[in-house]
Amino acid sequence: MSVSNLLENWAQVRHEHPINDKPHDPYKWAMAIDLDACTGCNACSVACYAENNLPVVGREKFQHGQQMHWMRVERYWDEDGREFPDQGFQFLPMMMCQQCEAAPCETVCPVAATNHTADGLNSQIYNRCIGSRYCSANCPFKVRYFNWYDYPTTDNVWPAEMTQQLNPDVSVRGKGVMEKCTFCVQRLSAAKVVAKGEGRIVREGEVQTACQQACPTGAISFGNLVNPESRVHKQWEAQQVVLDKDKQEKDEKEERAVLRGYRILEELRAYPSVMYLERVRESAV
Amino acid sequence: MIDSGIDRRDFLKVLGWSGAAVALSGCGNTSIEDGKETVVSYVEANDYMVPGIGVYFNSTCAQCDAGCSINGRIREGRVLKLEGNPDSAINKGKLCGLGQAGVQHHYNPDRVREPLLRKGNKGEAISWDKAYALIAEKMAGVQGDEIALLSGGVSGHLKVLLGNYLDSLNTKNHFVYEAVAPGVVRAANQKAYGVEMPRYRLDKAKVILSFGADFLGAWVSPVHFSQQYAQFRKGVDGQRGVLVQVESKMTLTGANADRWLAVKPGTEGVLALGIINALGTAAGEVADLVKEYSLVRVSRETGVSVSQIEKVTALLKMRSPSLVLAGSAAEGYAHGSQNAAAINLLNQVLGNVGKTIEAPVSVPFPQMVPSKGNTAALKKFNDGLSAGKYKVVFSFGANPVFTAPGAFKFKDNFAKAGFKVAFAHYLDETALQADLVLPLDSALEDWGTQVPEYLTEGAQINIQQPLMEKLHANTRGVGDIVLALLKQKKSEEYKSYEDYYAYLRSALLQNKGALGGGGADDDTFWTDTLSRGIVKLAGSAVGLTGHQNVAGLKLPAVAEENEHYPLYLIPGVTASLRDGRHTNQPWLQESPDPLTTIVWDSWVEIHPKKATELGIVEGDIVEVTSRTGSVKAQVYIFPGIHPEAVSIPVGRGHDAMGRYAKGYGVNPFQIMDAVFEVETGELAMHETRVKIHKTGQRVLVVKDEGAAGALQMGRKIASRVSTDQIDLSKEV
Amino acid sequence: MYRYLRLPILLVGLFLAVSAYAANNSQPALTTEDGLGPQVQQPIEFPHNRHAGLHDASDPNKGGMEINCQYCHTYARRSAVAGIPPLQKCMGCHNSIDSVKDRPRIKELFKYWEAKKPIPWKKVHDLPDFVRFNHERHVKRFVEQQNRPVQEACGYCHGDVKEMTVARRQKPLAMGWCASCHEKDHPVTAEGGTPVDGQAYWYSFQKPVKTSDSALAPKAKGPNDCWQCHK
Repeated sequence: MSVSNLLENWAQVRHEHPINDKPHDPYKWAMAIDLDACTGCNACSVACYAENNLPVVGREKFQHGQQMHWMRVERYWDEDGREFPDQGFQFLPMMMCQQCEAAPCETVCPVAATNHTADGLNSQIYNRCIGSRYCSANCPFKVRYFNWYDYPTTDNVWPAEMTQQLNPDVSVRGKGVMEKCTFCVQRLSAAKVVAKGEGRIVREGEVQTACQQACPTGAISFGNLVNPESRVHKQWEAQQVVLDKDKQEKDEKEERAVLRGYRILEELRAYPSVMYLERVRESAV
Repeated sequence: MIDSGIDRRDFLKVLGWSGAAVALSGCGNTSIEDGKETVVSYVEANDYMVPGIGVYFNSTCAQCDAGCSINGRIREGRVLKLEGNPDSAINKGKLCGLGQAGVQHHYNPDRVREPLLRKGNKGEAISWDKAYALIAEKMAGVQGDEIALLSGGVSGHLKVLLGNYLDSLNTKNHFVYEAVAPGVVRAANQKAYGVEMPRYRLDKAKVILSFGADFLGAWVSPVHFSQQYAQFRKGVDGQRGVLVQVESKMTLTGANADRWLAVKPGTEGVLALGIINALGTAAGEVADLVKEYSLVRVSRETGVSVSQIEKVTALLKMRSPSLVLAGSAAEGYAHGSQNAAAINLLNQVLGNVGKTIEAPVSVPFPQMVPSKGNTAALKKFNDGLSAGKYKVVFSFGANPVFTAPGAFKFKDNFAKAGFKVAFAHYLDETALQADLVLPLDSALEDWGTQVPEYLTEGAQINIQQPLMEKLHANTRGVGDIVLALLKQKKSEEYKSYEDYYAYLRSALLQNKGALGGGGADDDTFWTDTLSRGIVKLAGSAVGLTGHQNVAGLKLPAVAEENEHYPLYLIPGVTASLRDGRHTNQPWLQESPDPLTTIVWDSWVEIHPKKATELGIVEGDIVEVTSRTGSVKAQVYIFPGIHPEAVSIPVGRGHDAMGRYAKGYGVNPFQIMDAVFEVETGELAMHETRVKIHKTGQRVLVVKDEGAAGALQMGRKIASRVSTDQIDLSKEV
Repeated sequence: MYRYLRLPILLVGLFLAVSAYAANNSQPALTTEDGLGPQVQQPIEFPHNRHAGLHDASDPNKGGMEINCQYCHTYARRSAVAGIPPLQKCMGCHNSIDSVKDRPRIKELFKYWEAKKPIPWKKVHDLPDFVRFNHERHVKRFVEQQNRPVQEACGYCHGDVKEMTVARRQKPLAMGWCASCHEKDHPVTAEGGTPVDGQAYWYSFQKPVKTSDSALAPKAKGPNDCWQCHK
């Protein structure tokens, strides 16, 4: 997106994929998250705070729903009225920005501060954002977080030596801008610079997101969906989840599904880039 | 990593911290002011020091005792983030949330920065020379048995040095105390297997039956067990492992179980014996012992249905090897040893010993093996204090004023000691009661070695080294303090060691051969060792010697109902806060509890049925009263708890420790009764009985649960499928 | 009748509020009157012309020494940040140049060295903190892959440094200025460069322009997605 693009043909820029005749070449970043491996331990969430300079808002603001965790581990109850949740809980590891291909947030931004990158990410440009919060209202996953306060200065979220922990590769956001999970774009950027210097594309395993790197059970895979060597590609393929469908063929079939890959709220046609694998429970006990 | 022979103490000497200022100015254009900011520049730079590019150093995580190796990312001289070190067999490149919050321990704004001497109610900053002189003065004429040291678990060279210091003082009063430790299980394992902690192979088991062992949360070595668990779920021979968790209050592990069985508090052993009986494979004395535990009786006493016990038994019969674990919920009763013995017996009957319970390895340096903390030590120390036996007391690595059960009246007894010295990072509750507080380097500034209690493949010694320059000029490493004190006693012997670093270096170099560095020159060996952060040793396997031992195994009759205090109080130990020594790390405070999603506060878990009976709804402030005392906290209606129990998590409720800990939540240790496990003398943490009543106040619970109240409203958000509907064999 | 005035009053009020806000928040001037950055006072008045300038054939004591930019600014080709050479680097040469040791600036340099204190150089080219500018990529692109002379390539953004004493910002370094170059068609093959077919090279550029004349090298515009430069 450049200034001239904006001035000349804004509408086109917002509605077309930047490299529309060669979609996702050579990169399309995507994830696959295995609910059966996830234990709900929250290591990913803390890793995200450390990597992305997320402010700790404190008790009072948390109560007002102003928490800034880009990624939340959701926990659901069973709804069948048993006395005890004797099959454990339903953890949804990591509800974070799903980096939708047709992102509902992008089309409503009045200033084009959030838009699509060539490698299939939903970018958020902090210094372009004017804080209309339309994107957040239009996000079906509720994963966009608004800076209601000036956390670095007036709120003093990083007092004294705490500032030294801040990651210089990530902006510290001021008051009045929207923010969300970036798939650790600073790590992707660094990996791409290395790869470009060597005249190749980023290899599988060369770049990890912070959450993926921390996860003790390896529930998170992240990588380049268009690289057939990548684990993410293989997982999506094995689970027969296709990126640009709003209804997967495997779900149309009459017989019972034996595959556990699914995307959340797929029917809304946002085409999210994150596939989840259903949690498994033993039928014999 | 780094192979040039650089002196690690001189590394990354940079000009100021201007990088931090850059990062903070964040958004807006105001920082484009040419000529205002200073560029980060070096006097001398090594090849690997390139501005804008991170360097990584290995060290050891000090947030808990598991001994995970860490890999710190350093930019322009500041440590930014901790990752796991992939070379460690314990954590294999992974790190839990608690470990990652280690940077907030280092950068914590509430650290103690100067030695503080008590002046009335205030601490006066004094010099280190004065502090050491004061200790020498107080020590003059004091007998050895009038000196005591209370510490958390110690191992490695610090343990050796500490032992030498105590010897020089002629005292044996070293109390190793951990508020949350598997003391009873260790003793039971010693009896059953001949070792305190065998090597559990979760990854080899097809069924895990865990009696309250929260191995995914806060038990022994959670990051390691989590990795094994992932392997276990993928399965041996393609058969996915099945986890059955038996406990009265759901832990994180329970929340991940295929079947979670709510058992009446304290009857874990009964269920174990009942399963042995139902298996019907035992013979001899074992069969005699269990024959009276019929399904009907066991079901009546434990509250677990007959059909469920049958299903679990059938599963154990069908799939072998299995693994049965005794955890903190089973050991927390006065008959904890009996519970643990019954559970270990089940393992033996199932033939798991040698298959999923393996012999551990031991480090070939017995003097460095960890002194394991337990709660019996605190009782002895408290008894000594109460009798006024001690004139000089040292304390570090533990916060007994906060974690001692209320019934101990520890704070009052502590005051009876003559001169109290606390080595502390923060002014916690114990440091506030001390006469002299010596400020410690953070774990990311200090030198040390550590031997983990729970070793995995092969033995290892972990190296702890600074990841950056000291933040505060007047803090000292704990090793440096002990060395300085030791020099007061044996100056001749230790004068050649300028500091603890010099001691450590020479001690490791002396054993170069045994540490795998034979042939290398000293400098190369030393730099290599530091860059790896781990010394891997062959280690000798300790044989498992135990056998099925039923002598003395007798479970008490199920506890009668207590009219005045009808409910069990189960202290919840969470993965992020544990015993509360890290509560002042804001990431942990704001990290939602995985089960309740509550942040920044304590809560009382009550089963919906009990809550309806008592007319309690979520957010009601209730008073929880035991014989020892009472606390008031908000209620969270939680189906994962036995209706006869309530649970309050430990770790919050500090009235000291700085801005992020003080005043948040309540401390259930305060109302804990002094009930002890009969055989080991450990504190029986689950034996406190309480009653609750409504205070009439109600608050909004601060939690991360969605607006729909944690229901999916018919959408497929977090989904579950049962094994008979799925084919896992073709998965990637 | 006030009903009819409500909207105009509101609008006028809003306008006043916004203009008052804008007046209070004026950004510092990006350029001085002569269109360059401000003169920056450095702890040592470093003469770039003496180090990087051209030889003066008539008088060897006057001209420059034609030192390659990358001799001192070595980080630029290895890192996103160009950084400042360590003091050690200055001393490497000046320790053995006796002829200038008595000059005040060199005396100052030795003072820092003996005190083992880094010189607090001031930033001359300061970008906003939300910008991710990568020196390494630009050096690779122009110097290594297209064989442009170093001084020319650095000069695209830094001006003709060999003519300066203390460096002064010559270009606006604002987003529009960056875009003005990224908007242009650039050749995307280079001798010794990476192959076009492998995508790796021109990826992150915009689509190459298709030319009917196959003899002409394909051209593409510079990277244009926001996250390329914004962090």
